[in-house]
Amino acid sequence: MKPSHDLTLDIAEVLLTEQQIEAKVAELGQQIQADYAGHEITLVSVLKGSLPFMADLMRRINLPLRIDLMEVSSYGGTSTESSGLVRILKDLSAPIDGRDVLLVEDIIDTGLTLNYLLRYLRGKNPRSIKVCALLDKPARRLVEIPLDYVGFEIPDAFVVGYGLDFAEVYRNLRFVGVLRPEAYES
Amino acid sequence: MDVARGLDDQPGGTTDDEAARGTRLDCAFAHASEAEFARILDFYQVGWEYEPTVFPILWDLEGNVLESFAPDFYLPDLDLFIELTTLQQRLVRKKNRKVRRLRELYPGLRIKLFYARDFRALMLKYGRAALVSELSGTLGQVIQRQEATDSGEPEDRLDGLDRSRGLENGSDPAAPGSSTEPGPRHERRSRAARRRALRRSAAASAHAPAT
Repeated sequence: MKPSHDLTLDIAEVLLTEQQIEAKVAELGQQIQADYAGHEITLVSVLKGSLPFMADLMRRINLPLRIDLMEVSSYGGTSTESSGLVRILKDLSAPIDGRDVLLVEDIIDTGLTLNYLLRYLRGKNPRSIKVCALLDKPARRLVEIPLDYVGFEIPDAFVVGYGLDFAEVYRNLRFVGVLRPEAYES
Repeated sequence: MDVARGLDDQPGGTTDDEAARGTRLDCAFAHASEAEFARILDFYQVGWEYEPTVFPILWDLEGNVLESFAPDFYLPDLDLFIELTTLQQRLVRKKNRKVRRLRELYPGLRIKLFYARDFRALMLKYGRAALVSELSGTLGQVIQRQEATDSGEPEDRLDGLDRSRGLENGSDPAAPGSSTEPGPRHERRSRAARRRALRRSAAASAHAPAT
């Protein structure tokens, strides 16, 4: 099924409103600012889903910081080829050795991507590495990884919006909503 | 409690530890969803072993194993067993019971049940929702009953094969024109009843005084 011209028509339920997200991001920013006071941090955003969260979060942290972007291939990707290994599609643009790194993720569900990323980033010898996720879906977790900052724990539903997509659509919604099954089942 | 290394018992299994671990896609999986799950683990470079351990979960009074359970995957780096339950929903209750029993008997063991809905969500996440119907339920079965029997697989797996593939009435769902529907209700019941009777008989033998 093609997405509706009005994307909101494909949403069964708004899980997190724009206001709720804004308030939570501000809260996370304050917390991070307090924890890293006196330090310079590097925020690493994982494309593409965490882009809106990263953009909002960095403006809520009043500390000297750098940002960097990474992108990793996803299983299945854009083709039906299922063999092969996860690949770094876009690597960091600056070294992180000796730096305090905060990995900014949109959502953690299985933890497989995060597990891979953390191993990869630790290999670059940062001074410290922590994880900040806007959404945590623990019901889907396979790899248990402690999350240092979590915005919302969400139920086991297919969510889109605020960076999260289905087939590259719905990222631009200003809220997080549950996608109607009809939107992905056909 | 003794647990058995099950690799020798698996179709295509091997005792070679290296071969048993990770990136071994020629492994004879019992279900297509397991092969897909292994590919996902390989993709994210998470080491795995397929059914490496058979855990006895029920014994008769002489200590003979009456029931055992072999979780589908062991992820050594995470020290985690994973059991996929993408077969028919009615088997889930039985698997839940076995996992509960496993946790009671082996309290230090970490095991996660991965339900059909979890698998479906995973496929959806990776844009492979169209594969779900091919990989789950009866269509996902990839091994023949005889192989399973010869392999000495745990009863749990044989139950799943028998019932989901409609083999109780002798049909082969892979054969053209065959039905994948399970056999008539009374046949299923009588088969289960026979199995219970066998267990009772085994237990009774254990109680029986020597003559």
